[in-house]
Amino acid sequence: MARDPIGLALATINRLAGAPWLDRFGLRKRAERLAFQGTRAGFHALAASSKGFKRARQLLPTQRLPGPSRQDLFDLSLSDEQQMIVDSLQRLAQEAIRPAAAIADEAGKLTPDLEAAINELGLIHYAVPAAFGGTAEHQSPVTSVLIGEQLAWGDMGIALAALSTLSVAQALTRWGSGHQQSRYLPEFCESDAEAPVATIAVDEPHPLFDPYHLHTRAHRTEHGFVLNGLKSSVVRASEARLLLVSADLENEGPRLFLVEPGAAGLACKPDPAMGVRAASTEQVALSDVALPEGALLGENDDFDYREFLDRSSLMRCALAIGCAQAVLDYVIPYCNEREAFGEPISHRQSVAFMISNIAIELDAMRLLTWRAASRAEQGLPFSRETALARLFCNEKAMEIGSQGVQLLGGHGFVKEHPVERWYRDLRSIAVLNGGLQA
Amino acid sequence: MKVLVAVKRVIDYNVKVRVKPDNTGVDLANVKMAMNPFCEIAVEEAVRLKEKGVATEIVVVSIGPKAAQEQIRTALALGADRGIHIETDEEVQSLQAAKLLKAVVDKEEPKLVILGKQSIDTDNNQTGQMLAALAGMPQGTFASEVVVDGDKVNVTREVDGGLVTVQLNLPAVVTTDLRLNEPRYASLPNIMKAKKKPLDTQSPADLGVDLTPRLTTLKVEAPQTRKAGIKVGSVEELVDKLKNEAKVI
Repeated sequence: MARDPIGLALATINRLAGAPWLDRFGLRKRAERLAFQGTRAGFHALAASSKGFKRARQLLPTQRLPGPSRQDLFDLSLSDEQQMIVDSLQRLAQEAIRPAAAIADEAGKLTPDLEAAINELGLIHYAVPAAFGGTAEHQSPVTSVLIGEQLAWGDMGIALAALSTLSVAQALTRWGSGHQQSRYLPEFCESDAEAPVATIAVDEPHPLFDPYHLHTRAHRTEHGFVLNGLKSSVVRASEARLLLVSADLENEGPRLFLVEPGAAGLACKPDPAMGVRAASTEQVALSDVALPEGALLGENDDFDYREFLDRSSLMRCALAIGCAQAVLDYVIPYCNEREAFGEPISHRQSVAFMISNIAIELDAMRLLTWRAASRAEQGLPFSRETALARLFCNEKAMEIGSQGVQLLGGHGFVKEHPVERWYRDLRSIAVLNGGLQA
Repeated sequence: MKVLVAVKRVIDYNVKVRVKPDNTGVDLANVKMAMNPFCEIAVEEAVRLKEKGVATEIVVVSIGPKAAQEQIRTALALGADRGIHIETDEEVQSLQAAKLLKAVVDKEEPKLVILGKQSIDTDNNQTGQMLAALAGMPQGTFASEVVVDGDKVNVTREVDGGLVTVQLNLPAVVTTDLRLNEPRYASLPNIMKAKKKPLDTQSPADLGVDLTPRLTTLKVEAPQTRKAGIKVGSVEELVDKLKNEAKVI
């Protein structure tokens, strides 16, 4: 059989890799280490920014947001306040985010103008209690989901970039100690124009990654903690001034740690992905990163890792809903206007049924997510509801993304239309942040 | 300086309107409503005047059903200080709106009244002018620039031939054109604060205005849909069609 040179080379390498003599001579370990270091190359130290967090000016006691008063009515209509927030974000998504989306996707980052426009909205104030300069009055997972949906309608990558800081602020408000809150929260609200970026690092580049079984380890030392491990898909890691890193704490299970750049042993490298590119995902490596005592989020027993993951899952669902809505809003006029065989393609049942299925599934995604978020808001258990919403959103996000491309045919495949980007973005829902295991 | 801004609740500009089957009007059921875009520009201008230190208080007024409070709240979230809602479910035509606004002007005595040049639902382009006439105030309509200078205001107006700048004595009425400014997005903290700003509700009767319409709407119809054109094979065919079918030559 004739073979081309590449095939020949591949065959040789395969035979070599499978060779038992590698083990016999004790070479496999060394080869693996070499490969590991090869992949480690490209990391650069995550240096402390000149704009580190200031020392807390005033130490305030821990602030927690109460849940809203419970409603007995089954009411899915938005409150006036929610409606205004949705309207304002919708306008931003339509006028600022959507036009910048293709550029941000290409560049793999936000443009300064766009970031300023998003910061001006003061999203972060919504997560921070009044004592620290915010305006939050009660916990509001439902409003958070609405915010996520609207931003993701504009662009999922940009939404992810915008929401990472908000999520860290929410976690600090939910579980942070008075010390931690006093140190970080006021600065988030101080200046909207130069709000610090913060990010969450949970995912790890391991096969069958399960956020409940982390490979990143933490152990207690005399002065605090030492962390070791590798994190992936970390949004805007090299810009972040605060990272919330999940690690398995010896004998205590998964916990979250507040890590500031500049710590020795902390490095990151770009980890560009097929979708959500505007969020500039990066890998973060931690090797013997020493953290002080106060770096552990949730000193007492009130920290709940499952709730943390469930809340981030709900945000993923919200992103999926927003982006899927963008697909639906795009394919309807397209299929009504695009003509084939002398009539709009929406007159074909195969097209019309596909669109109506998207609409039905999208509403189902939304309702499942709203139910879970509303249970979270009322302080009821919401883990089961979140798991159902997430699994459904995982599956349908992929389907809707793919159907969007299919409905546009050749146009769906080219960058002239945004649908190919949405397809790539929607694909992320089922793989990032715990993905199918979540 | 106190500034009064009038805002109207209209169908959102993104919505494709549908005429009711009985041709009495436009179907409003389950239709997204929003603040008239020109009114949004008026609010933004007032807020900018306040940011410059020219205006001290912004009062926003709206006439309409209870739900019009949403638009007042939006204006408050954009930076207005307090709201007045004149609640009515009746149809309010331009003249009646102007009379209601005149009553508010008499009470509030603002130095500057800013309105949108027209609302995108009825496109009348009358209320601002009528208010100026009723209140005996000078008017600067279709403003693309507003500069307050002491007790005068210079208004640059967009007219067919270009731009005209007029100087008005305060108090004055200004109506906004599209290019005056680009309204900001209501920020979340301001939306939260808007909830706590005062909103006063009044009825047309309180202000002594009779809302009886002076005009009657006879019929509302959708614009005729454009029919597809045809291709002609030759000049002779074209001439023939123009002569015998269209009968224009």
